[in-house]
Amino acid sequence: MNDESRSQRVIPKPDSQRRVPGSGSEDLVETRIASVLGLKQFMQGPIRTLLIKGLAGTGKTTVALEILKAAGKGKGAYVSSRVPKELLETHIPAMKETLQDQEFLDIRLEDASSVLDFVMRLTEPRKYRTIVFDSWDALAKELDQKERLRAEKTLMALAHNSGAQLVFVSEEPGATTIDYLVDGILELVMVEEQDRTVREFIIHKLRGTKIPQRKYIYTLLEGKFTFFGPYTIPDYTKISKIIQRPDIGSSYSFGSGALDRLFGGMIPGSTLSIEYDENVPYSALRAIEYPPIINFLSRGRSAILLPLPGANDEIISSILVKAVGKSIVNERLRILNILRTSDQKTASLPKSATPQEIHEIVANETARLRKKSIDKSVLLVKSVSALENLFASDLDSLLEVTSQEIITLQQSQDAHILFLPKDSPIRSRILSMSSSYAKLFVRDGTVLMFGVKPHTGIYALQHLEDPISPSLTQLV
Amino acid sequence: MGDFASAFTSAVHGGLDKVLGKSGTEAVLVHMEMTNNLPDPAEFHKKLLALFGAQGTLSLERAIVKDLAIRLSWSFALLKIESGFDFSETLRAIEKGVRAS
Repeated sequence: MNDESRSQRVIPKPDSQRRVPGSGSEDLVETRIASVLGLKQFMQGPIRTLLIKGLAGTGKTTVALEILKAAGKGKGAYVSSRVPKELLETHIPAMKETLQDQEFLDIRLEDASSVLDFVMRLTEPRKYRTIVFDSWDALAKELDQKERLRAEKTLMALAHNSGAQLVFVSEEPGATTIDYLVDGILELVMVEEQDRTVREFIIHKLRGTKIPQRKYIYTLLEGKFTFFGPYTIPDYTKISKIIQRPDIGSSYSFGSGALDRLFGGMIPGSTLSIEYDENVPYSALRAIEYPPIINFLSRGRSAILLPLPGANDEIISSILVKAVGKSIVNERLRILNILRTSDQKTASLPKSATPQEIHEIVANETARLRKKSIDKSVLLVKSVSALENLFASDLDSLLEVTSQEIITLQQSQDAHILFLPKDSPIRSRILSMSSSYAKLFVRDGTVLMFGVKPHTGIYALQHLEDPISPSLTQLV
Repeated sequence: MGDFASAFTSAVHGGLDKVLGKSGTEAVLVHMEMTNNLPDPAEFHKKLLALFGAQGTLSLERAIVKDLAIRLSWSFALLKIESGFDFSETLRAIEKGVRAS
């Protein structure tokens, strides 16, 4: 399947940005829960009652407070059976303002009838749009089964009559009576993915609302709930001239703040291998492929690109020309498409070229471009998959040549980036020779990335502002 | 009269209990400030309406009337519980019947 042709949903327009250097939040753009996923409808009315469930530490309170915030200043009430307001503000400082803007009822020592009376007082004047119970179980567990069901039905009736939306927070993992009564259920879970923890929320039901996708990845970075919609292909027509990024000490910049923060730059003579699952869109890989090439070129250096399979050379060229200008691309970049007949002719390659012959072409091109590079360094960006497709019957030779290249490059000032499919038969050998190694995969439609060597946290890859450079938001 | 008043007070608790539970009933009566005094049917109806809306109020008032009928050993057939139900009117009819008997 051609990744480019996949239909993509439009990422909701970001409503704010916060920047804290080094936290990964530079790329965090809030995609508010209330503005998408059918929860927009929740805020608008049809979903009167919502249950947010999940084990301790999954972020239920943060999500509930986000919904409360969306109700508008002074239009929400937070009914707490667990912690006093001051402590909650300490636990989730990012939500301090929301807590101060809304009514807060501390019911830790209240009985069920008093709490129901509180709710009647809140709902009768129709002043409050959203009332959060955190947590409902703490109170409900004091009631017997029949009494609990009746109390819950009372709450539902009060909500439906008043127009207020009731949000119940629960730590009970199994289905309880309230599961059947509420209009919507969200479950927050933490799952292990590649030895790292990923947060996921599941929409079990939203009555009267179309659910396009049931599971989403989210992060609690900076104490705020941010979820990730399915990956969206960037709009390359919005490319502007790229601002070059300086070297990081003795390392080359990746041309992307996000990638530099993740890997700390490219050490001369190093090889970075990017392993990717088969369902990772090529445009996500290009977010790692293009910025270092563009930065190398814009800093007066040279680059060679053996593109990913299926890449269109004209499109690649046009993107790079937009970023750095035509003369630079013509002078110091070589796009070598080994599957293209014209390249075979230019390079005087026989139709059945061997890995060694390809290697010689790359070596000759490197030598030619080195002369044009301001500091004689060259960036080599190669798709192993393209080479594997060409030399499927002679992978040993390909591995041999690739190993030679990595070893030779270690003695030079050049940098090497290899794109490696997860199922590559020569994967483990190449990875063992690579100085650094990162993985890309897709979960719930979101492209995720993390460093194996060096070990890093896990990040969601998006194109939030710049179609070329990736935005990486840490999942915490 | 005394029989009706005490039966009605008990029926309010009993009827609401069946639908709202003990805590719900207590909350409603506290909220309406009707814990000790005998509710005036019209006032009671108005307050229920504000909290639960027309349909919710109808269900609660029917539950109260059914409970009252059981306590006074009245047949449901004599009461217009299902169609054209009017809480105040039904209570007046029952009270009149109690007085007459």
